[in-house]
Amino acid sequence: MKYHLTEQELIEYQFKLASDDRLEGITGHLQSCAQCRKDLEQLKRKFASLHLLCEETKVSEDLISRTVEQAKSPVKTKILFRKSAWIGAAASVLLIGFLSLVAHLNKQTMPAYQTDRQRFAKEPKPTTETIKSDVKTESLLADRFDEGSSIVSRPSSLVPVEEQPPFAPASAIELVVLPRRENVQLTIYNSADLTLVRERRNLTLKKGWNWLQFMWANALIDPTSLSLEPLEQKDKIGIQQLVFPVRLRELGRWLIRSEVTGQVPFEITYFTSGLSWRAFYMGILSQDEKTMHLQGYVRVANKSGEDYDNAQTRLIVGKVHLLDQIAELARRQYPYGRPMWPFRSLDSSGVAGDRRAGDRLGIEYDAKNISSELADLEQLHRKEIRKEGLSEYFLYTIEGTETIPDKWGKRLLSFEAQDIKVKSLYKYDEERFGERTITYVSFVNDKEHNLGETPIPNGQLKIYNQADEQRHLSYVGGTEIKYIPVNEEIELNLGPVRLVSIEPILMDFKTDNYVFDERNNIVGWDEEQAWKVEITNTRTLPIEVEITRGFDTAYWTLQAEIPYGKHDATHARFKVNLQPRSKRAFTYTVRTYRGVREESLTR
Amino acid sequence: MESIDRCLIDAHLKGDTTAFSEIVRRYGDSILGYLTRMAGNREQAEDLFQETFKRVHEKAHTFRGGQFKSWLFKIATRVTIDNARRCRRVKLISLNQNLDCNNKNEELSAVAVADSHNPSGEVIKNEQTEQVRHAIQSLPDKQRATLVLAYYQQLSYPEVAEVLGCSVGTVKTQMYRALRTLAKKLPDVGEGLE
Repeated sequence: MKYHLTEQELIEYQFKLASDDRLEGITGHLQSCAQCRKDLEQLKRKFASLHLLCEETKVSEDLISRTVEQAKSPVKTKILFRKSAWIGAAASVLLIGFLSLVAHLNKQTMPAYQTDRQRFAKEPKPTTETIKSDVKTESLLADRFDEGSSIVSRPSSLVPVEEQPPFAPASAIELVVLPRRENVQLTIYNSADLTLVRERRNLTLKKGWNWLQFMWANALIDPTSLSLEPLEQKDKIGIQQLVFPVRLRELGRWLIRSEVTGQVPFEITYFTSGLSWRAFYMGILSQDEKTMHLQGYVRVANKSGEDYDNAQTRLIVGKVHLLDQIAELARRQYPYGRPMWPFRSLDSSGVAGDRRAGDRLGIEYDAKNISSELADLEQLHRKEIRKEGLSEYFLYTIEGTETIPDKWGKRLLSFEAQDIKVKSLYKYDEERFGERTITYVSFVNDKEHNLGETPIPNGQLKIYNQADEQRHLSYVGGTEIKYIPVNEEIELNLGPVRLVSIEPILMDFKTDNYVFDERNNIVGWDEEQAWKVEITNTRTLPIEVEITRGFDTAYWTLQAEIPYGKHDATHARFKVNLQPRSKRAFTYTVRTYRGVREESLTR
Repeated sequence: MESIDRCLIDAHLKGDTTAFSEIVRRYGDSILGYLTRMAGNREQAEDLFQETFKRVHEKAHTFRGGQFKSWLFKIATRVTIDNARRCRRVKLISLNQNLDCNNKNEELSAVAVADSHNPSGEVIKNEQTEQVRHAIQSLPDKQRATLVLAYYQQLSYPEVAEVLGCSVGTVKTQMYRALRTLAKKLPDVGEGLE
């Protein structure tokens, strides 16, 4: 069955709109089909009329010189007015809402316009109706602006703003361009993956409705937290709505109603994830281990996908209650969806890929940890960190501003305290540490210890010891410290020590005072153990040792050579001081009461 | 060609006042032709022409290399769209007028009276020209821009895509739609027209 080319195929062939293969096929068909050749000729004749507009256009020298002259003239008023698409709408509103005002205006300004018409309007058209007159007034006004006349600004009250908000920007041209940040403030919480970002930007608005597009591709911003506030002219600017266009991800558009034209500073706030900070500390014990030099640092890491230049950085210590994880909100598939998206469904489906990406980030972080630490050390310079208490949190403000690029970390000195009086204590507690002696250093976060200005955030502490007079350091141990409020004592576990050994030896064991029931079963007895505890200090410093002994029961009595304290129901504690390079031993006998013998102790 | 454009832009940015007028001379004809076909009349096209080069003057620093011609046509297109939108809004409150925004009918009659050495033939040709112009003006902005750039300004489809900021496929679709519409509206000028 023979077929003929459609009009579409003929058009595509004539104007080379189809693919090469398709064009070849059509050419082959045309060679064999007279009817289609005839149709093509007819189409060509039809489109031949397009040649009527093919006349050569020549630019006159006059136009060139006018264009060059105009281009050199001041531009601002013209650009603003040319870009404004609201002239017509404003004219209609003028007509309807402010008829009397317009009439008054016309009376006052027509003579001037008549003059201007000669100067600026090329072919003034007759105004036969009031409605045309209004339009003409508008266009003449526009011309006056265009030509850079002395009228720099127009009373804004003359052009009322459209009442009906637009459904969407007519095109990308209508969007207000988001300029660079003027400044930015980061408030980073360490207890949650949460950062509050406050940006200040100067937006250029036109009178009427403005669309502002905010995009955050690859950044972990929570779209539900976005907020926009004008910092000036608040009574003349209204933020109407924030929309998340369908099918466009990581993009929001604000609709702003403005009664002013020009630059207005705005503050944009939102929550983001990926920024974090943590504290860590370095302590150097004096040779006699009686004082410590403590340096506190904070390390701010940025994995948010966004560079923050010259950001004022504030760090929050304290727990915050989060309903949702910001990272999850940022990564969810449709930011324009329901405000409270059920998280479980996301976990099990849509976010799986992103979660893998997050895991990948985690691995990268570990791998880069050492190098970034080294980079931090190189960048280290001292900045004051101001601290102030909030109701439930504690706020640290880093002096000045910091640039924190994406994927970078930055270490800053938080505080430094000299000569903190510390107390070293060696602890022996088999139930907690096994048969090892553990070193503890303790101090109080108060003024007496040259501290106490602020709580100390949790973080990792590394303690070094001055090994010799040349201030060479030897590593003593490290530990995680928890949040230390002011006036609280902190005890730091620095790990096991070999130079102090404690050895409890069981010297004697016996049972007596058995109690039998009517069937001659044992229902109660006493146990008596005699222990000898040998302590060896091979250090060159005097030490204090705390030995904790447990008895498995709350019914016990103890007789010892040295004083002891009852630590709790089942434990007793001995404290012993030893001179440098010395040994010491003490004995104690403990009687424990079992079964019905417990009653004898209570009686 | 491109290097000359680049040199002219650089010279303009460095303050050479003659460089800008050279740019206007170099591309004036084609830009004015484009704007005339887009706007529908010469007078408005001249206004848009000045506006286009004013924007070129202001935005020259944003030219990042590549096809200067495409960049220039892109600006001209934006100016045209801005103007069309403005005109449409004025038109909205002027529905009871017989004259449209471009006042083409007046211009047509003026041309018809002026060229009167072969009155009957010229009048028919003017009528047909006006029909073509009206048909092109009735196209949506993007289709009109695509047609004018590709057909009258002889830009390749990839160049048109660059000017309009879309894909070549989109350009071809717009072009086909424009031609399909025009096929119904254009006069059949017969064999005599070349």
